Amino acid sequence: MIAGYRLQRRLDADARRTAILRVLGAVGGLVAAGFFLLLTGRNPFTILADSIEAVFGSKRGIEGVAVQSVPILMCALGVALSLRMKVWNIGSDGQFLMGAFVACGLGINIDAPNWLLLVMMGVGALIGGALWILVPAAARAHWGVNEIITTLLLNFVAVQMVVWASLGFWRDSSSMVTQSTRIVPVTLPRIPGFDSVSIAFFVPLILAVVLWIVFRSTKVGYEIDTIGGNPRAAAFAGINVPRRIIVVMLISGAIAGFGGFLQLTGAPGAQALNGGGFSRSYGLSGFIVAALAGASFLGVIVAGLFISAMFYAGIALQTKGLSVYIIFAIYGLVLVGVAIGETAARYRLQKVATDGGAASAAPTTPTLAEATP
Amino acid sequence: MILALIENAFLSILGSAIPASTVVVLAATGVMLNERVGVLNLGQEGLIGIGAVFAVISVQEWGIESSWLALLAGMLGAAFMGAAFALGTVVIRANQVLLGLALALGGVGLANQLGTNRTGTPIPTETQFQELDPFGVFTDNEFFEAFLYHDAVTYLAYLVVPAALWFLLFRTRHGMTVRAVGESPGAADAVGASVMGIRFFYTVLGAAISGAAGAYMVLTITPTWSPDIARGRGWVALAVVIFAAWRPFRVVAGALLFGAMISFETTAKARNWDLPFLSASDMGFLLSMLPYLVTLIVILVPAGAAHLGRRVRATDAPAALAIPYFREER
Repeated sequence: MIAGYRLQRRLDADARRTAILRVLGAVGGLVAAGFFLLLTGRNPFTILADSIEAVFGSKRGIEGVAVQSVPILMCALGVALSLRMKVWNIGSDGQFLMGAFVACGLGINIDAPNWLLLVMMGVGALIGGALWILVPAAARAHWGVNEIITTLLLNFVAVQMVVWASLGFWRDSSSMVTQSTRIVPVTLPRIPGFDSVSIAFFVPLILAVVLWIVFRSTKVGYEIDTIGGNPRAAAFAGINVPRRIIVVMLISGAIAGFGGFLQLTGAPGAQALNGGGFSRSYGLSGFIVAALAGASFLGVIVAGLFISAMFYAGIALQTKGLSVYIIFAIYGLVLVGVAIGETAARYRLQKVATDGGAASAAPTTPTLAEATP
Repeated sequence: MILALIENAFLSILGSAIPASTVVVLAATGVMLNERVGVLNLGQEGLIGIGAVFAVISVQEWGIESSWLALLAGMLGAAFMGAAFALGTVVIRANQVLLGLALALGGVGLANQLGTNRTGTPIPTETQFQELDPFGVFTDNEFFEAFLYHDAVTYLAYLVVPAALWFLLFRTRHGMTVRAVGESPGAADAVGASVMGIRFFYTVLGAAISGAAGAYMVLTITPTWSPDIARGRGWVALAVVIFAAWRPFRVVAGALLFGAMISFETTAKARNWDLPFLSASDMGFLLSMLPYLVTLIVILVPAGAAHLGRRVRATDAPAALAIPYFREER
């Protein structure tokens, strides 16, 4: 502790200060990750330079990050939405997979004009993602069952569903790849001038702005924030808390599910389900993004593009001493930094009166001995 | 004939369910200890991974040949992570959910990275835990064999540790203080208990026991390292504790249910069981979901039953679970 100062707990948590300290914490986590890399005999500065080169050095890198950002941002927006209500949806991986699962099932089995098929797949993905969170949502809202574990357990079930589809009932028997469904016949159009980025890139950006407006200027958004702040106060104010919880969780799942549809139809080379690997833990990356952004929807975009770049660098630098495993270890450190930054925002350094200053800081209230005759 | 077949399968499921559940029993015991003092540690996947990878490293790198020392190495690795977690949650008092998920993510990532070049190298047989026959008289009876032929860690996890914890928590003065720290830290503080000290100690101890789960997994169940070694068992352990209402022996029962599903799956796949409307391979995919679905149902049913029966019941969870303790807010 610095001499002459002590930590004083604040009663309020100022949003701006919290946001700044959260970002500082994340930076601290990255610095710690640098030391961790140094300890394992890697040069963090070389890796940083290589990462920047891999991401910004070529059109391919920038496009790679843009493609990667779609599933991560969609999952992050779903998580952030439920976080506004202090509900932890850790199952966005499963909802993402089930959205893709329903979209894939419709895509390979239904004969329809391309535009109609795309619409049906999109709606199907929304429903698939929402249904996948229905049981945890109802259990949380009505029975008070902790949603962290129920949503997460369903991830494992979703992975098995997708594996089953890829190896079993929708398997492409003509393909050399053993674990793959048939390929969906429709894709979203590419953005003109780009080789691999489809118009799916714009969806999370638009959605984030829409959510931001909803929470900034509608009654519903205000009510959800109220539930997040104090559910009992919200109930006293006449808000139907269980129903709001269910609806928000269903939308949260639907957003992640729609991310599965965007990945299936928008990402290059992802037009079939290939087992659990179809989601490269996008839900977890999305969770980090939402935590880093503190459930601020515009913050999600900034944090999401950053995490996507990091994730892309982790894949691109696999031969140069980085790996997806290390990226996840770094995620952990970033999350630690975020948590500690949030806590630090609730303290302030207060100057303690030293011996010299004691006289000037004379107590204004009488002491107990003086007050009692 | 059919009866013999059923009995045979039953014994096979039972015999493999007990050791298959040991991992979850240990991890859930660790979770229960953490939560009894009011600390929610969602990082079980990470702790199991770290425990496993340190056990493997101790055998392959440090040349340890004793299975007990390898188990200890795994426990120490996890205890170190647990101490870091306790520093964040108990001393700094940051958000337990965030730090727990950080441990789940970071721990799994770190363990996978440390284990990168160790995949597929088996643990030598002499370092694996061997099955004991503590009641030598029953050796010719296959029923007792399935029940009783297990290694020492399984015996510890099923009998010794739960009994010791039950006694500690419910029959000693210290245990009462420990439970008070999880239920009402303000009151515990008022009577002179060190809330921070007790929370820190039991968080680290719980992490070490969860680490033992991972170490046991690589030392005996799948005697080789593979990435993502926990495969959801950490999350299942967290669910089991809810089902078990934070009681030591119910934790064992809940974990056994999960293990029974796992070995039902293995047995059914090995014997190519099918149903009239499901082929054996489709059945296999369905069975792979079963352990997680059953775990989900198992935590939903008690809550749902209590609600539908309109039974007003105080929740079994320690009242101060996941709530940091600030003396000035008492």
